[in-house]
Amino acid sequence: MMMKKILIIEDDPAVSDYLKTFFEDNGYNAFTAMTAQGGYDLAKQEHPDLITLDIELPDEWGPRFYRKLAADKSLKNTPVIVISGLSGNKYAITKAVASLSKPFDRDELLKIVKETIG
Amino acid sequence: MFKKILFATSATNACDHAARVAFDMARRYNAHIDAFHVIGVPTRGFSQVVVDLTTGEQVALDDNYRDLVKEEIRAYYDHQIKPSMDCAIEVAVGEAHREILRLARRTQPDIIVMGGSTGATGAYAARRNITGSTFQQVAKAAHCPVMVINRPAGSFWGGFSNIVFGTDFSESADTAFAFAFDLAKTFDCELLLLHALDITGCQINTLHSQDDIDDQIRKARQQMRFRYISKMRDFKNYEVDVWEGIPFVEIVKYAREKHADLIVMGHHTRKKTGDGEGALGSVAEQVILRANCPVISINRPIPR
Repeated sequence: MMMKKILIIEDDPAVSDYLKTFFEDNGYNAFTAMTAQGGYDLAKQEHPDLITLDIELPDEWGPRFYRKLAADKSLKNTPVIVISGLSGNKYAITKAVASLSKPFDRDELLKIVKETIG
Repeated sequence: MFKKILFATSATNACDHAARVAFDMARRYNAHIDAFHVIGVPTRGFSQVVVDLTTGEQVALDDNYRDLVKEEIRAYYDHQIKPSMDCAIEVAVGEAHREILRLARRTQPDIIVMGGSTGATGAYAARRNITGSTFQQVAKAAHCPVMVINRPAGSFWGGFSNIVFGTDFSESADTAFAFAFDLAKTFDCELLLLHALDITGCQINTLHSQDDIDDQIRKARQQMRFRYISKMRDFKNYEVDVWEGIPFVEIVKYAREKHADLIVMGHHTRKKTGDGEGALGSVAEQVILRANCPVISINRPIPR
């Protein structure tokens, strides 16, 4: 069976590396982008099964990235999990499948990922 | 368009989201920004004893105390005030809304930016419940556009590119349109024009037929063309919609659906029906409280 792909959009390398390792250890194929634009390009190229998205990115804010994603027919139904340290982040992207605050519980994250993409 | 910003702040975390937008605008549009804080209300008359709104304590007001507060505000926003930013910290004493309006009259900013609710407690908050909160009073009376960011989620956009203009075809909506259109042209935005058709007035046994509603929607679209589209000439980056329902709900829903990063509305959008112009619960105020993006409300024509 093909491994499910997860795109991690996160500008903090520590969090990003942690997530990548965590997803890979759990049998997913994970790749990362540091910026919204980089994330969008990667999403176009790879068509991930799921995206984890930070709200505050160096080039653009998460909701603006999501708007671009939602406007693309081939990407609009990609589930997004918001992972951010900002207060009120769960209201930032209302169509996100979940919103987690940093520091997040990795078991909870894995549970959400499994429920969403198996 | 935004060369001078007046950012009215409680300098507490209740205004953090408004600060994020205000300082981002100052940086993005290279604007002068006045961060303005009202320290508190004199215990009576011209008393030098002031109840500090942040701490709730009575303090004797002198230049030292003012400087101390200014210092604290600068430190609080230190990470947001960039070295190149043209930023001044101002403080005053009195009723917050009155002092904000007073400073705005003096400095003539292009826009006032503020948070919605400071979450104040105690006697001051109790009094405010009767008179209306600071943003309501400022939005009602200001001579310039007032931007309110009430929810943290409204501050996660960074700049404007999708503007929703909500209209009820009133005069103040026309004023708001002129501003929204200018903004859309200046910053190369998509302008999304929405009329929310109010169908809440109908009683259960006098429900409008869908034909009635569709007729009203058609009429509203004609109005849109006549009042707005005809004025936009070669500006093509727009969309027109009419949604029926409860107006404030429809506007908030529409903005969410379109991923809007700004809503522009007239403030006293109700026509002169004598039903409490600008009173609590007006459409604009409900939208301000609920929107997922900053909301600019406009009272009167903006001098060009």
